[in-house]
Amino acid sequence: MFFNSLAFAVFLPIVFFLYWFVFNKTKNTQNAVLIIASYYFYSCWDWRFLFLLVFSTFLDYYTGIRIEKSQTQKSRKFWFWLSIIVNLGFLGVFKYYNFFASSFAALLTGVGFKASPFLLDVVLPVGISFYTFHGLSYVIDIYYKRLKAEYNFVDYSLFVSYFPLLVAGPIERATHLLPQVKVKRTFDYEIAKEGIYQLIWGLLKKVVIADTCAAYANAIFDNYPSMNSLSLILGAIYFAFQIYGDFSGYSDMALGMSKLFGIDLLRNFNYPYFSRDIAEFWRRWHISLSSWFKDYLYIPLGGSKGGIWMKIRNTFIIFVVSGFWHGANWTYLAWGFINAVYFLPLLLLKKNRNNIESADLSWNIDSIKVRLNILITFLLSCVAWVFFRAKTITDAVSYLKRIVLNGEFSSQYLSNERYNYELLIMVCLFVLVEWNNRTKIEPISGKYSYLKLILCLTAIIAFGTYSDYKEFIYFQF
Amino acid sequence: MKKFLLFTSKILVLAIVIAILLDFIYTAVYLQSSNRGKIDQVYNSENENYDVIILGSSRANNHFVSQMFKDKGLKTFNYGMSGGHLFEADLLLKLMIERHYKIKNVILEADLNLTNEHRADGISSKFLPYLHNSKIIKEHFSTEEDFNYLYYIPFYRYIKFDPQIGVREMFFQAIHKGTSHLQNLGYHALKDGKTGNMKNNIVSLKPLNHNKYYEEIKQICKENNINFIAIMTPMCENVVGMNYFEKVQKAYPEIHNYENVVIENKYFSSCGHMNDIGAKMFTARILKDFFPPSSPSPKVRESK
Repeated sequence: MFFNSLAFAVFLPIVFFLYWFVFNKTKNTQNAVLIIASYYFYSCWDWRFLFLLVFSTFLDYYTGIRIEKSQTQKSRKFWFWLSIIVNLGFLGVFKYYNFFASSFAALLTGVGFKASPFLLDVVLPVGISFYTFHGLSYVIDIYYKRLKAEYNFVDYSLFVSYFPLLVAGPIERATHLLPQVKVKRTFDYEIAKEGIYQLIWGLLKKVVIADTCAAYANAIFDNYPSMNSLSLILGAIYFAFQIYGDFSGYSDMALGMSKLFGIDLLRNFNYPYFSRDIAEFWRRWHISLSSWFKDYLYIPLGGSKGGIWMKIRNTFIIFVVSGFWHGANWTYLAWGFINAVYFLPLLLLKKNRNNIESADLSWNIDSIKVRLNILITFLLSCVAWVFFRAKTITDAVSYLKRIVLNGEFSSQYLSNERYNYELLIMVCLFVLVEWNNRTKIEPISGKYSYLKLILCLTAIIAFGTYSDYKEFIYFQF
Repeated sequence: MKKFLLFTSKILVLAIVIAILLDFIYTAVYLQSSNRGKIDQVYNSENENYDVIILGSSRANNHFVSQMFKDKGLKTFNYGMSGGHLFEADLLLKLMIERHYKIKNVILEADLNLTNEHRADGISSKFLPYLHNSKIIKEHFSTEEDFNYLYYIPFYRYIKFDPQIGVREMFFQAIHKGTSHLQNLGYHALKDGKTGNMKNNIVSLKPLNHNKYYEEIKQICKENNINFIAIMTPMCENVVGMNYFEKVQKAYPEIHNYENVVIENKYFSSCGHMNDIGAKMFTARILKDFFPPSSPSPKVRESK
């Protein structure tokens, strides 16, 4: 059941009705409705994986309590590592086992040994990377005494499996979400209205921007050996907007619908393509994952303290692991590595926190420089996206090589029966709307909100792609 | 909460109103356009006279050279539609009759398309803008599973078939941007098939013994005194399962089997589609057999 499906359009109002009109007496009944709805939502993909979700929830719930109750450090360590190993074990088996097995076999074959690895024929449970990270952050926080263990299983379960964030985040922190599910929520019209606006804007990003860009990006990436330089450049740009529209659209929908239930989720995107350098880009892109890795990996490793080699090591570790989190493929590792290469000079020159404040733009030299930096950062991210999108690293390198060597910049008719340049107007319009609203969460609220709402609804109805419910890219992670 | 329910109801109403308005605008644009494709051309025309009308799939569209008919003094148009099934061929003929076309001969390519009675979405969707304006189209679609959605939900048909009749196509219709579909009297010539697939396996194909739409076309021709010529057109030499054509012949003895008229791969663009040279050889044979110079009206030919 996708957020942009008809089934979900029926599901959400039913849950809303039950939550506010039938089971609204106490926070326990409210949580029970959300838990049942979340488990139903998850089972719509594959009910068998519901057991995995429940097991993972129970494991972290139980180990969290045991860590807190342990009298000795040895016992604390035991429960802590048990949770970490089992959680990462599931992730490893379902997500990474086949990758490691086939890579090892390829390595053996490369040095002259014949190897036919045993591969698992399993589907990746949807959202496993997200809910595993929810659980991990909870257990780690308890271990380091930053958080008290949760003793109410229903409340804890809701923290892990709350349906708006269950399958593609944002990756919530117990410190942020648990206090909210521990009190009865009351309805707030202004917040709910804001939620509806955000939901609509997220839907527009998904069905109008992401899915339309996908048709062009796929046509170009799948046939890149016959594409000219212009098509290949446009292909990378279209993919950049596809993945942004897809993932930030999903996040907006998740945050928006959560507001309908009176629960505030962490912001996941903050107009990343308007970043002035790569460091700023990573403070604005998939914020919940970046901050997770920063808090639970980068800082424990020593962060940017220590010598130059430690800084370099930690930077590469965090970016490569982040790339690997996205999927078991060398292309994701390469994408992480490239981002580390982009980031490192800023870190070493101590410029990684240069662009914290928002820029005041006018038409002077400094503002032009800022705009130029935004453009350069966007183009750098597009180069990295080529590795993310390509099937293999060889494909990505050939793709980029062809951009340089082909040298043709004419219009080209693509396999989706469209010209390569046709989408540019829509993309430019989208950028313009986002640029003018970059200080807001979504562009609909404020002055002339009804007019903007009409325009958004018209765009969703007229320009949206609905021929099949296109899966969200991040569901596979 | 009341305020919120009112707010969401307003959004819902707004969405419905927008859908109705968009539906109205799109339909209005399609109703005034006639230079994009064969369907809108027929819909937006009336009282046309033709000596020969050609119907069928791409194997009609790429195989019957209309100009050669014209050169013999026969006013002809090739209404074969690439990707189309008999569902669409039948509906197009019904639409012509509704539009008071005077037709002397209908040549129907009837071979591989006899295997099913399904609609071909890519082609049939092009009739949908006229769903509320044509009784014939409405009736033809009325037995389809999704008819109620298509007919009663405003703008649904434009959303469902966005690549065919969505915003891009509507825009081109609005600015009257022409296409190549109506050039060369509807015939679309194919080039040599050096890269085309010259192998085909049709073992699994089975002609329906009583194809509803084929029978309807036959019946319409009979009722309107149109000479009906059904033809099986050539396939390349490397086809596995050539007895399919014999099965067709057995089920429909009146269909003329011209499958073997052109064989060599050099006359094909892909296995099921002849190139321009092959199409001309084939058309010459059809003209010779059905429209001989001496004969003022088409010769009724015994099936092979």
